[in-house]
Amino acid sequence: MKILHLYYDIMNLYGDYANVSAFERLMKALGKDVRTDRSSFRDKADLSEYDFLYIGSGTERNQKVVMKDMQRYKEDLRDCIDKGKVMLMTGNSFEMLGSSVTDSKGNVHEGLGLFSFSTTEQNKTRQTGDAVFSMKGTDKKFVGFINKCSSISGVDKPLFDIEMGLGNTDNEKTEGIRLGNFFGTHLTGPILVKNPWFLCYIASLVTGENINPSDELLKYELAGYDVTLSELNKRIGL
Amino acid sequence: MKKFFAILICKLLRFAGNIIGRGSSLPGQIALKICPDILSRVKLPEYIIAVTGSNGKTSTVEMIAHILNRNGKSVAWNKEGSNQIEGVTTLVLGSSTLGGKVKKDILLIESDERFAKYTFKYIKPTHYVITNLYRDQLTRNGHPEWVYDALSDSIYPETQLILNADDPLVSLFGKDKDDVIWFGADTLSTDTKELESVYNDGAYCPNCKSPMVYTTHHYNHIGHYSCTSCGYKRHDTAYTITSVDLDNGEMTVDGKYNISLALRSLYNIYNILAAYTVASIVGIDGEKTASDMSDYVMKNGRVITFEIGSRQGTMLTSKHENSVSYDQSIRLACADKRGCDVMFIVDAVSRKYFTSDVSWLWDIDFEMLRNENVHEIILSGTYYNDLAVRFEYTDIPKDKIRIIPDIEKAYDHLKSDRQEYIYVITCFSDKGKFLALL
Repeated sequence: MKILHLYYDIMNLYGDYANVSAFERLMKALGKDVRTDRSSFRDKADLSEYDFLYIGSGTERNQKVVMKDMQRYKEDLRDCIDKGKVMLMTGNSFEMLGSSVTDSKGNVHEGLGLFSFSTTEQNKTRQTGDAVFSMKGTDKKFVGFINKCSSISGVDKPLFDIEMGLGNTDNEKTEGIRLGNFFGTHLTGPILVKNPWFLCYIASLVTGENINPSDELLKYELAGYDVTLSELNKRIGL
Repeated sequence: MKKFFAILICKLLRFAGNIIGRGSSLPGQIALKICPDILSRVKLPEYIIAVTGSNGKTSTVEMIAHILNRNGKSVAWNKEGSNQIEGVTTLVLGSSTLGGKVKKDILLIESDERFAKYTFKYIKPTHYVITNLYRDQLTRNGHPEWVYDALSDSIYPETQLILNADDPLVSLFGKDKDDVIWFGADTLSTDTKELESVYNDGAYCPNCKSPMVYTTHHYNHIGHYSCTSCGYKRHDTAYTITSVDLDNGEMTVDGKYNISLALRSLYNIYNILAAYTVASIVGIDGEKTASDMSDYVMKNGRVITFEIGSRQGTMLTSKHENSVSYDQSIRLACADKRGCDVMFIVDAVSRKYFTSDVSWLWDIDFEMLRNENVHEIILSGTYYNDLAVRFEYTDIPKDKIRIIPDIEKAYDHLKSDRQEYIYVITCFSDKGKFLALL
């Protein structure tokens, strides 16, 4: 079992790294022989070697630097998506896979072009807020937090329906993107810790086994998820 | 006439507010309604000193006011901590004559990072202290670079910048400017060669985004840094902590002034240094400042000592959603050689707005608590599960950790005959829930 945390030292706002820790810990508990590699500007990772790939969120400036560097992974990433490699990109990292990101000064930065959507940033209002989403194709609620200043238009296969929180654009009631086993969402922080069922869902996809969160291992995660969901439901008025 | 009424009403409301114990932003808010440009129509004192940054602004401002008052200067300052434009308006009008002349020698403003640009449109500081920029309240602030950009708009050419040279992002405000006054610390006995933190916000140069290297870390990304590519590096300082001994509670400034510390934290020494810097600029002798700061106990209620039965303890008010603030409190507890129990309460993430987000827990270096001085760790409050999960990712032995969700029950647990000193680490939003039980 090989895990790759790409741009771990620059795309890591507010505890994003814990997504990798959570996945690693679950794999170890299941008896897998796990190796986690962390890679950034200086190295070139062979993406095909890995079973699970993660990138977290960065500041707007950091994202631009990474996006430029990441052009060298363009074809490898395309290949990963085509072959159904399980990949998770949170915060503004998945924006890099679109056609472009236009910054608040109007400069257009070229994306990897693996998706046709495009992103536009502004510098007037930080858009932040708690989120309750439901993942398309499941009845499970997703809890988290979004912290962004961008609008992403042209996503044709979103990941979530919104019950509370911010969408890809101001007008849409959907968030993120999914293509096969590629998951992109603007939620920040340790979303795999906060949503133990989703951790198990991802783990099942990676291993091909049926992994359930009913384990003693995830006791506090499950209880914490219930508390957060209930606090957020009170806000929604449920 | 509008000006007169705005000042009069502001004064009356402030007076009434003081009697009924209400906040200090309402009078200013109403004065601004009556006369929107009121702040540009008052006569301000010679010195207008503003302090901003992620952490330490309230404490720094309190210290500056204390030193100035002790040295015969009259100071108008926002001691209530209302640091947005309405609160500052209340402060200014409350200290002025009905004709609109501020009657004090010095106007001292603690300013919110995001709102400084609005306040300073009307009141341009003569001196502007920026203490630090950390990951802080992402719910409101986004991230440090977002705050940096907001602060950039609050800096005017006529303002004298006073910057923390040890913070690479703060120092960027002074890049290519030759009239900045820099403060900072020499290599200290408490420093580390390697970074001791869960994350590294000093990994890349804020100017060009190439890798940075540090010769020494004071804490987190605060230290002596230089870029490997563009030449950006820590600036030499005019006002300097030359040594510190936290065990014995002493610091030395500029190699000659010794200050005895009431609170033995790195935060505290930076706040004192910032206050010392301002006092020196205003013309107060270093000897006097050092004596005024020695054993000075903050009045702002952020550090509170208490007794539970035969046990003694200290509440260290830290900021939820601010990992550096927690790291500092944890470091202070870990250094207590008497042996201590440490309790964390996360019950409401914020007192000002709602959020359920606990991502910030993952940026706190709880691993430090794996220390022989720390005997028992108690986790409490609504988000106890999230705390418990976070601790599962440390190597702290499980038998050291007690999970007691209910704050009152956790308090009862502390009421034992254990000998350990108690540290309660929590936020403004939750501290009252514990203090009410005492």
